[in-house]
Amino acid sequence: MVVSAAILFVAALGYMFFQARDAVYHEAMNRATQILDKTSLRVDSILNRVEVASDMTRWLVERHTNQADSMFVYSRSMLENNPDFYNCSVAFEPYYFEEKGRYFSAYTKHVGDSIRTIQGGSDSYQYFFADWYLMPKLLDRPCWTEPYFDYDVATNTSEMVTSYCQAIKDKRGKMIGVINTSLSINWLSNTISAVKPYPHSYSIMIGRGGTYFVHPDSTKITRQTIFTQTLEQPDTAMMALGYAMQRGESGMKLMHLDGKDNYVFYKPLGKTGCSMAIVCPESDIFRSFDRLQNTIMGIVAVGLLLMLYFFIRIITFELDPLRRLATEAETIASGQFDAELPDFQRVDEIGQLSHSFGNMQQSLVKYIDELKKTTAQKATIESDLRIASKIQLGMLPEKFPTRADRDDVQLFASLTPAKEVGGDLFDFYFRDEKLFFCIGDVSGKGVPASLFMAVTRSTFRTVSAHESMPDRIVTIMNKTIADMNKNHMFVTLFVGVLDLPTGRLHYCNAGHDAPLLVGAGVGELPCDSNIPVGFMPQWKFSLQEAQIFTGTTIFLFTDGLTEAMDANKVQFQMQRVNEVAARALENQQHEPRQLIEQMTEAVHQFVGDAEQSDDLTMMAIQYIRQQSDAKMQKSIVLPNDIQEVPQLNAFVEDVCQTVGFDEIETMKIKVAVEEAVVNVMKYAYPTGQHGDVNIEAAFNDTRLKFTIIDSGKPFDPTVQSAVDTSLSAKERKIGGLGIHIMRQNMDSINYERMNDLNVLTLRKKINKKS
Amino acid sequence: MKTTIQEQDGKMVAILVGSLDTAAAPETEKAMSPLNDVEGKDIIIDCTELEYISSAGLRIFLGILQNAQGKGGQVYIKGINENVRTIFAITGFCNIFKFM
Repeated sequence: MVVSAAILFVAALGYMFFQARDAVYHEAMNRATQILDKTSLRVDSILNRVEVASDMTRWLVERHTNQADSMFVYSRSMLENNPDFYNCSVAFEPYYFEEKGRYFSAYTKHVGDSIRTIQGGSDSYQYFFADWYLMPKLLDRPCWTEPYFDYDVATNTSEMVTSYCQAIKDKRGKMIGVINTSLSINWLSNTISAVKPYPHSYSIMIGRGGTYFVHPDSTKITRQTIFTQTLEQPDTAMMALGYAMQRGESGMKLMHLDGKDNYVFYKPLGKTGCSMAIVCPESDIFRSFDRLQNTIMGIVAVGLLLMLYFFIRIITFELDPLRRLATEAETIASGQFDAELPDFQRVDEIGQLSHSFGNMQQSLVKYIDELKKTTAQKATIESDLRIASKIQLGMLPEKFPTRADRDDVQLFASLTPAKEVGGDLFDFYFRDEKLFFCIGDVSGKGVPASLFMAVTRSTFRTVSAHESMPDRIVTIMNKTIADMNKNHMFVTLFVGVLDLPTGRLHYCNAGHDAPLLVGAGVGELPCDSNIPVGFMPQWKFSLQEAQIFTGTTIFLFTDGLTEAMDANKVQFQMQRVNEVAARALENQQHEPRQLIEQMTEAVHQFVGDAEQSDDLTMMAIQYIRQQSDAKMQKSIVLPNDIQEVPQLNAFVEDVCQTVGFDEIETMKIKVAVEEAVVNVMKYAYPTGQHGDVNIEAAFNDTRLKFTIIDSGKPFDPTVQSAVDTSLSAKERKIGGLGIHIMRQNMDSINYERMNDLNVLTLRKKINKKS
Repeated sequence: MKTTIQEQDGKMVAILVGSLDTAAAPETEKAMSPLNDVEGKDIIIDCTELEYISSAGLRIFLGILQNAQGKGGQVYIKGINENVRTIFAITGFCNIFKFM
């Protein structure tokens, strides 16, 4: 505001100055022109006076041409009447007055205060040849001479003069002499220069040829012309002025002389052919104006400074409380929240501000207190989160079977959570020569997802311990989870059970991405579009199955892979997953660990420095079992009567002896098969109904296999809970021993329901030594 | 399968001979049922000539043991062979029976 006021003020002032300067300029023009005119008039009047006086003298002289001595009177009276004339000569032709000899000139001149009249002309001064004498004689009319030096013999001094001369004629009109009246150039110059419009202005006068007659620098007078200087330094302005003055023009020019700007006013001087000019320095013209301007500027500057000073004083006074507030705020900001605020006792805005500030301080203290508590809580939570993360990762299997561990399957998996804890999960374990595995992705991220993931994973373990069919596992898991799911979370899940001896895969997909099969080419495993687990407890999930051939890798993943984003939010997408898998297959690098490492590298390259947006989980399972030819196959069919057990035992003993098992192993196999078959005999068929049990025995170099088949009701003995052998006699229950013995005595036990038949397979490795 | 029960030095002794498989279990259980009525005497099951046992047989053993312990008696296993001992080991029965 102050600044804009100042600007406005200065602008108005500037305009005023401009206008005033213009007025001063015009005023100066008028003044100079008037002075010039006046001077010019004065010079004209002097010249006129000379001419009139000369005419009158001539009239007298021509009346008395025979009286030589009268000439002295006429000449003398001329100067007596006109004291400002320099001299006057009345000169005659040679021998005009015979008594006076060859030379006669009545010459009168001022000497100090007196007037001296003498007879001029001598052999050394033959005036007939002077300009002033010749010019009227030759031109036959009166005329003004160019200035010249008039030499005074008596005083031996010379004076620059200009003369008016006219011829004296007799009654017949014959020229008999010349009257010459001179004016001192010096005097003329002083007369002209006497009037000065400005203290530093000066006058100049030039003759017809441009010679200076009047000039402040007396060394230039008659010695230089107005053009002399332009010979050394071309100056078009000076030349223009010179020509204009020579032509007898009048006017004004702005010129740069002696390093200053000057206004030059010029005008011709009547009949003399001379031209005079007044040179007025611009600084002189605008001196008073400049003085005024400087004074006003000074006053304005002082005024503005004063204004500034008072503004600052007022603002400082008004803002002082604010500054104190700011200082206190600084103290508070540095962490000293109990700093005391100044009490202003004011009711204006500053008082209100102070009041608000006090309130803010109180809130701040309260807030900081809460913040401290929250921070402490947050630290606890973060520490808890780290522990939770460890626990969560600890839940996942860490040891992955490779070719060195197993001859039927190898597996690898990786899980990279986007936050400390994530919602992805995978799990696998072996039971009864079956690989149970699952991969899942819980909706959302972070702690809620991780808790849901933990629930899902433990539910998977619990349910799959008693169920061998993925659809049943998922259906039960779904019901369990949905019943306790108050937060409407869900998990997409793929559960598979791979029968290791046969390569038969049973699976159930609950809204998860379809896995890839990487073997004979790369292709998706066909998946039903079931819903994810967790929101419709009654949903019946469908079962699917497929044959996995030796060498084929099942690649499972969560959408963290296909939806991995680079810095430009472009997704990795299924197409790239397929490409990486195809390349791996082409290079025969599709073993689980290799495949996952290549996929991980491809994703990292794609994502670059972008932040991981979602949990990323991958699991690869390669079926590597080489089927070997059976060396022997035997079978027996028994009715569902336990009295047939001895026959069974005899059959088993026979088989074992053929294979070459020792007594203890034979006994163990016998017990296991008996338990399995008795189970069928007792429970597969309704009491009293006849049914058959088919027992097949087959072995190759590595394994002996018993397959027990019946057409009774579906019954999976493998899902019975394990017996706790550490309990006391009192606590132990009668029952459950059979399945326990089967598991303990055989290497694997496997149940499948195929074509309305219960198929139970027991396998025993053949030790090469035996 | 043959089961003999006799009293010897104030203890009840059951002598089992043969294979105690599922088929033989009902008969053996019946033959050993008198042992459930024994009061205040220790029971010895002589397995010296027991060749084979399955879970059906083990259940009979467990029944006798639980019954005897309920009355404050003790059950000892005698002369068990390697085969049968293996099954006892697998099922944790060696932890609950006393051997002599």
